[in-house]
Amino acid sequence: MTRDARRDEATETYGAGRSTRALCVFGGLIALLTIALVANLCIGTVSVPVEQMLPILMGKFQGETAYQVIWNIRLPRLCAAALLGGALGLAGLLLQTLFANPIAGPYILGISNGAKLAVAVVMILILGDTRVMSSWMSLAAAFCGSLAAMAAVLAVSRKVRSASTLVIVGVMIGYVCSAATDVLITFASDANIANLRNWSLGSFSGINGGQVALMAIVVAAGSAATYLLAKPLGAYQLGEAYAESMGVNVRAFRIAVIIISSVLASCVTAFAGPISFVGVAVPHVARRLLKTSRPRVVIPAAFLTGSVACLLCDLIARTLFAPVEMSVSTVTAVFGAPVVIWVLLGRRRQVG
Amino acid sequence: MWQAPGAHDALIEARGLAVGYEGQVLVGDIQLQVRLGQVVTLIGPNGAGKSTILKTLAGQLAELGGCVLLCGKDLRQVSVRTRAQQLSVMLTDRVRTELLTCADIVEMGRYPYTGRLGAATPQDRQKVREAMELLQVWDLRDHDFMQLSDGQRQRVLLARAVCQEPRLLVLDEPTSHLDVRYQIELLSVLRHLAHDQGLGILMTLHELPLARRVSDWLVCIKEGQITLQGTPEQVFVPSVIDDLYDLTPGTYDALTGDVTLRVAQGAERDIDA
Repeated sequence: MTRDARRDEATETYGAGRSTRALCVFGGLIALLTIALVANLCIGTVSVPVEQMLPILMGKFQGETAYQVIWNIRLPRLCAAALLGGALGLAGLLLQTLFANPIAGPYILGISNGAKLAVAVVMILILGDTRVMSSWMSLAAAFCGSLAAMAAVLAVSRKVRSASTLVIVGVMIGYVCSAATDVLITFASDANIANLRNWSLGSFSGINGGQVALMAIVVAAGSAATYLLAKPLGAYQLGEAYAESMGVNVRAFRIAVIIISSVLASCVTAFAGPISFVGVAVPHVARRLLKTSRPRVVIPAAFLTGSVACLLCDLIARTLFAPVEMSVSTVTAVFGAPVVIWVLLGRRRQVG
Repeated sequence: MWQAPGAHDALIEARGLAVGYEGQVLVGDIQLQVRLGQVVTLIGPNGAGKSTILKTLAGQLAELGGCVLLCGKDLRQVSVRTRAQQLSVMLTDRVRTELLTCADIVEMGRYPYTGRLGAATPQDRQKVREAMELLQVWDLRDHDFMQLSDGQRQRVLLARAVCQEPRLLVLDEPTSHLDVRYQIELLSVLRHLAHDQGLGILMTLHELPLARRVSDWLVCIKEGQITLQGTPEQVFVPSVIDDLYDLTPGTYDALTGDVTLRVAQGAERDIDA
C-alpha cells in the first residue's frame, strides 16, 4: 500500500460517523431552539396567534396590546432566557473541567449565590433608597461576588481531594450567601421588595431591551473566549500534570477559566438571579447527545442545550399556574436535579 | 568512574540538581544524562525519590538547586510548547475520562503541533495511527478509554506519549499494571524507539530483571543520593543490589537476576524478583 493510500484510510478509520452524529445533534438542537422561541413568543396570558407574529415582529400593529406584549415583555424575556441559559451551560462546562468534577456548576458550588449576595449588598446597603442600580453596577457587583465564592471553593479544593466534599462545601457556601441575602432583603425598603424577592429566587421577568443588549455583549465575549480555550480544555481532561506536559500553561489556563466562568455565571445572576441546576446538568446532556466530551463540539452544543432548557423551563414557570408565576429555578431544579442523580449513579457503576 | 560525555549529544542533563517538595530536598547532587538512543533507568527502593527526579526533569516540579538542560538549554528558559515537542511523559497518575475514545487520548499527543483550536490534520491522524499500531492498540481506537483494562490503558497512554514525537520519553513505572507478556512487549517497543529511532528514554522500573535487560545505563538512588550509576554489568552485581535494597548479602543472584527468599525455618524458595 502506498503511503498516501494509507493516510487516506487512516483519516477515515477512527472516529467514523462522528460528524454525522454531530450534524444530527446540532440540527435537532437548532430545531428545538426555534420551536422554544416561537412557543415563548406565542404562549402566555395574552395569546398571540402564530400568523400574527411575523407582522408584529416586522413592526406592524404598533398600537395594539399584542405588539406591546411581544416587544416589551416577551421578546426581551426570551432573549434573556436563551442567552443566559447558554451562559450557564458554558459556565458549568468550564467548572466541571477546572475541578475535574462532574457535579460542579455555578449554582452547586455556591458561585451564583455569592454573586447574588454581592448584588444585594451593593443595592441595599450601599445605594439604599436614593439611587437606582444600573445594569453595569449589578454586573460588576455580581462578578466580585462570584470571584469571592470561587476563591473560597478553590481554597477548599486545594485541601480536599474528594469530589463530593467539594460539592458539599460549595452547597454550604451557597446557603450561607443566600441566607445573608434574605436578611438584607428583609430590611430593604418596601418599593424594592417585590422585585428583589423575585430576582433572588431566579426569574427572567422584568428584563428590558437595554439589559438584553448588555448581556448579549457579555455572553458573546464569554462564549467566544470559552471556544478559544477548547484545545487546553481538552488536554486538561487527562489531568493537570499531563496537560502541562503537552504544553498547556496551566497557571494561565486556570486563571482564564476562573475569570470566564465567573463572568458568565455573574451575568446570569446579575440579570436573572441564581438559576439552579442548569449549569451542572446541561454539559452532561450535551456530552451524552454527542457521545463525546471533546470540547470543540461540546461547547456549542452545551450553549444550545442551555438555551433550550432555560426557554422551556421559563415557559413552564410562567404558564403552568398562570397568572401566578413560579420562579424559574423551581422548574429547572425539577428537571436538573434528576440529571445530577443520574450522573452520580452512572459514575458509581463505572467505578464499582 | 562515570565520565561526562560531550554535552552536544545529551538530550537531557542534570547538573548538581536537587529535587524535592516544598523546599525540602529529597535527593540532592544529581548528575545524570540521557543521550540519543539511550535507555536510562532509575532503580532503588520505594520512596527514594525516583519519581520526584522524573517530575523535576520533566519540568513539573521546580528545581531546588542546580539545573536541568534540555537539549542543551536551561529548562527554565524553554517554552512549554518547545518542551512538549522535545519531551513527553507517561505518569502513574490515574487518568479518568468521560466519553473519550482511545484515539482521542492518543490524538492529544499532537497538542504541541496543532493550531489554536487543536484541529488534527490528516498528517496528525496518520501519526496517531502509527503510534497506536506500534503499541498494538489500533484495534481499540474507537473504544471508550474507561472501558479498557489497566494494561490496555497503559499502552494507550504510552501511544499518546509516542504520538507527541518527543526526542526524550520520560516514563514513570511504565510496566505497572501489565502482565508479563505485555511487560516484555512494552520494553521491546522502548528498545526499538531508542535504538532504531534514536529517542532517549528515561524511566523508573521496579522489576530488576526487566531493568537489566532493557537498560543501557542504570542509576541507583538510595537515601537522598545517587549511590552508583553505570552499565547493567557494573550495576547488577550482588553486592550492589543487596546494598541498594538492604537485602541480606547473598540474596540477589547475579546470574539469573533472581532473588532468593529465605523462609524463617531455613527452607529456601526461589521467587522471580
